[in-house]
Amino acid sequence: MITSLAWKNIWRNRTRSSVILGAIALGLFCGVYINSFMTGWMYTTVDDDINNHLSHIQIHDTAFSANNDISAYFPREKVEAAVGESGLVTAASYRLSLTAMLASANNAVGITAKAVFPEDEKAVSTIWQNIADTMGAYLPDDARTAIVISKKTADKLKVKLKSKIVLTFQDTNGDMQSLALRVSGIYKTANGMKDEATVYVRYSDVFPVTGLPENVFHEAALRTADLETCRQADARLKTLLPDMDVKDWGENEPALEMSLAMTEFFGVIILAIFLFALSFGIINTMLMAVLERTRELGMLGAIGMSKRRIFNMIMLETALLTFVGSLVGIIIGTALIVPSLSSGIDLTPFMGDQFEDYGFGSIIYPVLNVKMFVQIIALVIIAGILSAIYPARKALKLKPLEAMRN
Amino acid sequence: MNTIIKTTELVKIFRETAQEVCAVNNVSLSINEGEFTAIVGPSGSGKTTLLNLIGGLDKATSGSIVIDGQDISSLSEKRITEFRLHNIGFIFQAYNLIPVLTAKENVSFVMDLQGRKKSEIDRRATELLTSVGLGDRMNSRPAKLSGGQQQRVAVARALASKPKFILADEPTANLDSKSAANLLDMMERLNKQENVTFIFSTHDPRIMAKARRIVTLEDGKTVNDEAR
Repeated sequence: MITSLAWKNIWRNRTRSSVILGAIALGLFCGVYINSFMTGWMYTTVDDDINNHLSHIQIHDTAFSANNDISAYFPREKVEAAVGESGLVTAASYRLSLTAMLASANNAVGITAKAVFPEDEKAVSTIWQNIADTMGAYLPDDARTAIVISKKTADKLKVKLKSKIVLTFQDTNGDMQSLALRVSGIYKTANGMKDEATVYVRYSDVFPVTGLPENVFHEAALRTADLETCRQADARLKTLLPDMDVKDWGENEPALEMSLAMTEFFGVIILAIFLFALSFGIINTMLMAVLERTRELGMLGAIGMSKRRIFNMIMLETALLTFVGSLVGIIIGTALIVPSLSSGIDLTPFMGDQFEDYGFGSIIYPVLNVKMFVQIIALVIIAGILSAIYPARKALKLKPLEAMRN
Repeated sequence: MNTIIKTTELVKIFRETAQEVCAVNNVSLSINEGEFTAIVGPSGSGKTTLLNLIGGLDKATSGSIVIDGQDISSLSEKRITEFRLHNIGFIFQAYNLIPVLTAKENVSFVMDLQGRKKSEIDRRATELLTSVGLGDRMNSRPAKLSGGQQQRVAVARALASKPKFILADEPTANLDSKSAANLLDMMERLNKQENVTFIFSTHDPRIMAKARRIVTLEDGKTVNDEAR
């Protein structure tokens, strides 16, 4: 009956309770939405980077990681054996990675040229899917000396599809090698910074002039089923290849991994700030409710309701107010997020593609996950309890006789 | 007749800055089961203070109060609250019902605090409200009831816990004469038929007329104790 009384007490002053419930609901709605949006933004960025540029795991010779030396290669069989033994890798692409200069008639830029086997590459990277229909194709078999460059690079070099450009790099002997290549495709991903830095060429076009022995590579890009498997595969490969530089996506891009962790952390902080601010409103509302009912609380003590029960009743009223408001906010927030989970939220109309210059996508896919809801519910419980203590203590201090004289 | 309340040399002094006021001065009183007693006297004579002391709502400066063999002066605040719940019924001048609960819920509330079974609570609340003439208003909230009806609910609530006695502080003060007469008739009936002990603090001559014992206080002292 005390629960029922607590619930009815909340609605004694409908306007006041509705206002604070609305404020809690709005706060939680904003918290859920911002949290989901920010986390989704980072997850989208991470997914895009993994799919287009990083893959799940990359393996290099340790010397190559240190100075990108063309002679710091590894034999394919060695890595292939370890990859096969791990049993956790779904696709692998072996690449030569050359620090090079790319020049057109108008301009020259420094880039990294990835010499790849196109079909293997398509299994680990979605760059080929980021070539628009009118922007050519990904290193087609019928094209001679093809190169795929990014839209940003094309703009800098002022070249178009089928334009001729020259790739210059140093071979293993230290001699400069130049290859004349035709732009076969122009891609554009959400990460403009990485787009600018990378071009793709066929292994068969580049290998003959590198001076490298056959079947050696600078980079193995690996895909696993998901991020959890990625962690397992990374640990396994580190054990199997102790003398090589095995890195998962987070190790390759620590800033990205840290941004993801920070975003999740700040999401919780933002929510905590919302709830902290709201708790003052809750305390004020409940304090008014206690002070208005001083006489009645005194009467309850007089007829035999213990102080513990009065304390619990006020705690329960505050908790119910907080939880109902939070529940409404979470439901509204979730309901508004669900439709954009698959379609995403396109920020291009508001921000153009300026985020892409900093490595972030313009279409955000919000994320709703159990961890977020657990964090929210934990924060709500903490805020509810903390807000309840002060008004309940006020009620606890009342003496029945003095309170009834109020 | 069992003595259910026995006060011995009861004193209550209020200290107000430099002044001391002796609200109850050496009152020794025995009240037996089934009495219908009125404590009367002019304003400031100590009626309400005496009632509060007997009800365990206030602590005596000295003296003892023994209720059904239990000295309540020595009980802790927690124990005295528990004692009130199971042994004493209260009727207040301003009814003091819980406004958000219906008449039946108000009556049930005390029994719920006692931890009784839901079926028993439901049955007894219905019986009590019917016996005070509110069988048809059980689901009404206090705001929908007249003053007289609210005080009847308060009587039913006071009886609900099956107390050893009921303390009623000026129960008719806020009622019109007809409602007051009806309420008194009802309480007299409960006293006679069910042997419920009532102790009133009052100025109301109608209560005095019905009381079978009148204890008169003046300046905190018993100046007359008259059985009829």
